[in-house]
Amino acid sequence: MNQKTISALIGILIGLLIGAVILLVQGYDPLATYQALFQYSLFGLYPLSTTIKNSVPLILTGLSASVAFASGPVNLGQPGQLVMGALLATIGGIYLHLPPALEVPALLALAMLGGALWAGLAAFFRQAFNMSEFIVTLMLNMIADFFTAWAISFPLMDRKAFSPMTPQIDRAGWLPDWGSFNSAIPVMLIAVGIMWFMFNRWKIGYEWRMSGQNSLFARLGGCEIRKNFVAVMLVTGALAGLAGGLVVMDGPHRFIKGLGANYAWDGVMIAIVANNDILGTLFYGLFFSAIQTGALGMELITNVPNEISQVLQAVLVLVIVASREATVAIMNRSAARRKARQRVVGHIEEKAV
Amino acid sequence: MRVFIGLITGMISGATPILLAALGGTFTFYAGVFNIAMEGMMLAGAFCAVVGSYFFHSWLMGILFAILGSLLLALIFVLFAVVLHTDEFITGIGLNLFAVGATTYLMRQTFKVKGVFADPGIVAIPSLQIPWIKDVPVLGQILSGQNVIVYLAVLLTAWSAYTVFRTRFGLRLRAAGYNAASLDSSGVSTARMRVLSLLVCGVLCGLAGAYLSLGYVRLFAENMSAGRGWISLAAIILVNGNPWGIALISLVFGFSDGLGLLLQGYNVAPQFTAMIPYIATLIALYFFSVRQKRLQKV
Repeated sequence: MNQKTISALIGILIGLLIGAVILLVQGYDPLATYQALFQYSLFGLYPLSTTIKNSVPLILTGLSASVAFASGPVNLGQPGQLVMGALLATIGGIYLHLPPALEVPALLALAMLGGALWAGLAAFFRQAFNMSEFIVTLMLNMIADFFTAWAISFPLMDRKAFSPMTPQIDRAGWLPDWGSFNSAIPVMLIAVGIMWFMFNRWKIGYEWRMSGQNSLFARLGGCEIRKNFVAVMLVTGALAGLAGGLVVMDGPHRFIKGLGANYAWDGVMIAIVANNDILGTLFYGLFFSAIQTGALGMELITNVPNEISQVLQAVLVLVIVASREATVAIMNRSAARRKARQRVVGHIEEKAV
Repeated sequence: MRVFIGLITGMISGATPILLAALGGTFTFYAGVFNIAMEGMMLAGAFCAVVGSYFFHSWLMGILFAILGSLLLALIFVLFAVVLHTDEFITGIGLNLFAVGATTYLMRQTFKVKGVFADPGIVAIPSLQIPWIKDVPVLGQILSGQNVIVYLAVLLTAWSAYTVFRTRFGLRLRAAGYNAASLDSSGVSTARMRVLSLLVCGVLCGLAGAYLSLGYVRLFAENMSAGRGWISLAAIILVNGNPWGIALISLVFGFSDGLGLLLQGYNVAPQFTAMIPYIATLIALYFFSVRQKRLQKV
């Protein structure tokens, strides 16, 4: 086992222990709670398939954040990009009427376009006026939130509904139902695969990573920093938009109030614990999804409210990251001490000669 | 005239939470801590204010609880960012999300409700009528009858400006951010200054939170800080942390808030009026970057 895995396991363990203490303080039985949590998320075909299905928007937004953070841009606009993608996919689904084999890809493309455009807006502000994308994307999140809320309560509102929501999208745009295996999963896996290849095998991914680690080095090496910045923003926006499109096409088949939920912020957390690693994002996405999925079942048999999953997630993020950095610090210190000792020993031997 | 006074009052009440949080952030800004946890601290403060006010039937206990709740988050920030050397950005994001999760969970746990907790048992922070001034036409309606926290915020602005620029503590604080190594070598611990700055930030964000849930309105709603912590961060960046500049910028944001309320009366969709403060932030950032560019050319 390498250092990364060990520190992650230590972090998860400490995080779960802190969670257990929180549960104990509230007067719950932590062992029974955890047992219920994982019983409803991992053990058995149905819980497991639900966990994987629920992980799709988390992993896609996590992937978006990972790729952005690893390449430099601080794109925190996943929540806004997700709802804009979902909105565009919904509009497409309402007005486009194609055979399913064309409708589904068309809506997915529209979702990606919506996310990319919203991220592109932030990239434009950065390139044209040098406005920090960090705050701009955060503000655009709020604006997108209100904009979609307006769109579903006025121009796109379903007249027959009692609360703000759009009419259902064309049946052809619904993701096909394959029993317990959800058809959003292959879309997510393809996206993860493409991003992995891009990052680890292709030249463009290498340029992005170098720009993220040391933009001066990348520029001197001949990368077009500005072009790469825009490209990263567009691609990561498209990924977040795709998550939104899949939520619409797989779930309610319409844009309902509160559609974005907390997916995108969970995705940002996942990217952070995964240290912007693509396969790590896949793993932690599944892990967080297991906690969220299990929490709903847990609420049924224990009395613990499912909101505890949000607390547990944030605790895990902080502890895992802290344990990773602490492990690195301890390793560095012991390496330095070893080197110093060798020096001293060498010095003494020299004198002895 | 009524419209004008309404606009000004709306501006002041919109500006207060942003001002308080930004004043807190300015201490960490000068101490060289990249603190983005104001959003979470404010939210924790808003929740704890309602808890204190509801269970003790006293707005003073509400404020006390708000400060304690916000301080708890500041202490967690200290633990991770200063003691364990976790990345400050990550700590901040983690804490903000922790605050959302914890307040949602605790609201359900303590009050058995989801979404919003409003109850007549919550005691609001009173307004202050200033004798004589309140009888002055127009001016009296603006200067008098504001919430206690509003007056406190004005005093705290002056106090922050004085502390940061005129005291030994302020000098050390700025040195911690400007050149940590030289501060350490002169015998003052940078880490200690950073911890203190975070604690001050905790107290001020707690007040901002108390104002949100006991002054601005009298309820707690999930995620009710609604990006105000981020706006206050933008305010700090825009004026390089100067407390008086922050007060001015907060008033601008507060004005956009008040304008939103006003426009709702003119049949503008509420979603668009709610967007205004965020758009105002973008516009302010635009002017900031234009000025930066001009300064760089010179």
